[in-house]
Amino acid sequence: MTRAFWTLWKREAGAILLSPIAWVLLTCMALINGFSFSQCVAYLGQGVRELTVMQIYFYIFHFWFLLIILVPILTMRLFSEEYKTGTIEMLLTAPVRDGDVILSKFAGALSFYLLLWIPSLLGLAVFQIVTHNAVPVAWIPLGLSYLMVTLVGMLYLSIGLFTSVLSKNQAVSAMLSFTIIALLFFTGFLSYLVRDPGWREVLTYIFTLEQMRSFSAGQFDSRPVVFYLSGTVFFLCLTQRVMANRTLKG
Amino acid sequence: MIRVENLTKKYAGGEAVRGISFSVEKGEVVGFLGPNGAGKSTTMRILTGFLPATDGQIEVAGAKLPEESLLVRQRIGYMPENVPLYPEMRVEEFLEYRGRLKRVARKDITERVGLVLDQCGLSDVRKKIIATLSKGFRQRVGLADALIHNPPLLILDEPTAGLDPHQIRSFRELIKDLGRDRTILLSTHILSEVEMVCGRAIIINRGKIEASDTLANLAKRVQSGALQIEVKADPVGAREKLAKLSEVGGVVELNRVGEWVSFEVTALPGKDIRGEVDGLIKRENWPLRDFRREKARLEDVFVELTQE
Repeated sequence: MTRAFWTLWKREAGAILLSPIAWVLLTCMALINGFSFSQCVAYLGQGVRELTVMQIYFYIFHFWFLLIILVPILTMRLFSEEYKTGTIEMLLTAPVRDGDVILSKFAGALSFYLLLWIPSLLGLAVFQIVTHNAVPVAWIPLGLSYLMVTLVGMLYLSIGLFTSVLSKNQAVSAMLSFTIIALLFFTGFLSYLVRDPGWREVLTYIFTLEQMRSFSAGQFDSRPVVFYLSGTVFFLCLTQRVMANRTLKG
Repeated sequence: MIRVENLTKKYAGGEAVRGISFSVEKGEVVGFLGPNGAGKSTTMRILTGFLPATDGQIEVAGAKLPEESLLVRQRIGYMPENVPLYPEMRVEEFLEYRGRLKRVARKDITERVGLVLDQCGLSDVRKKIIATLSKGFRQRVGLADALIHNPPLLILDEPTAGLDPHQIRSFRELIKDLGRDRTILLSTHILSEVEMVCGRAIIINRGKIEASDTLANLAKRVQSGALQIEVKADPVGAREKLAKLSEVGGVVELNRVGEWVSFEVTALPGKDIRGEVDGLIKRENWPLRDFRREKARLEDVFVELTQE
């Protein structure tokens, strides 16, 4: 990584942490996470034995709802704000490559995104303490679950970054990325409906919820890893294309 | 330092710049003049590598655009119009960040930041958050940013726009100072600014260059100054005699005070009528109490060249 990348990443991460959105997001995430976690525990209390608390947590609606809403809010300002305030001109007339700018914004958003999931781990820690570690933590399924959270986050953030470079208007950027992410997420559910086995297999390939179910049960599958990584690269390249063709009026 | 040939920039809606050519030599301070929307900012944005040109050859600070854009950006200091800055950063922190981006050596950063803070009169506000600064200070931060990596070429887009008269004066002094050991291209539509700071002006209008010359030569292009005289003489007769002089283009009576009458005598283009008029006054034995030549102002040149 170049020096420019680190310099830019530091400023990106700093800008996110200094914006009110960051703290509102952190607070709301902690609240909803806590609420969702207590529901998982309540569900376990009904006598469910075949699932761990984290398996329920990663499958529950709250979690996905949060993930889909969260990313557009996090990414909408990345480029839109720079275009709107004109700071993009200052940024791109410094001797930095477009690639460094894109990657640093992506990495900055990803760092904060990962920070947002820490409260969920705290929930697990409290759960283990309260239950006197009755069921020991299954580290591999837990690790795989968070790997999945990271991979999905990378793809969604790259989509958000791409829509952010399209418009000066943050609301437009957010709405666009929300639409693409939601469509991508809900398309997976069609695999329950289609009869054609070929189509069903394609749809299962992008069915995030099912992939998460197997990852949180400790079953690793390389196909989703390839899917999310290549998707991320695809959207980062698209972002680069749009930036290279910028035609600002003035 | 800058060499531009046949530069064209087309937008979906039309042409912003239509095949302009000009050059700026090392050590010059050049004013880039034009009415709003003439294509000044677009040209500057192309020179800094921010916008791609539709056509033309561009060489800035010894590197070609767009092929060597990184090299160009390394060698220029650019201050965009309206000076966009990150409002949440502190002045010092911002300049350090920009210094690192512009590849100032790690060990030199603190020293460079201190130097430009001093140079731009920002030492007292170094710890302040940019959002709380006045417009004048923000312009200074923009200039400090342009200077942080000690570039040989400065490109300043309307550096004094929106400042109050005090701020404009001190800002001009600053630019004058910087021009001693650097090449500067600055755009403006304040003409007195060019007269004070620049050695040469390029006048652009509707995407085309109308003139590019030293200020003195530009002034010669318009009527080379009118002569104002005040004599004690018969107004009608004096006026006729003045008008008959071979190099005089026109005579206008300005004012009468008692027996004194004042005229504005204009010369034919390119002529100097001082000798001829002086000769006439002596021959006629007119008592004289005012004799001065109005210098052609850049404003006249500008209006004449850019009028519809």
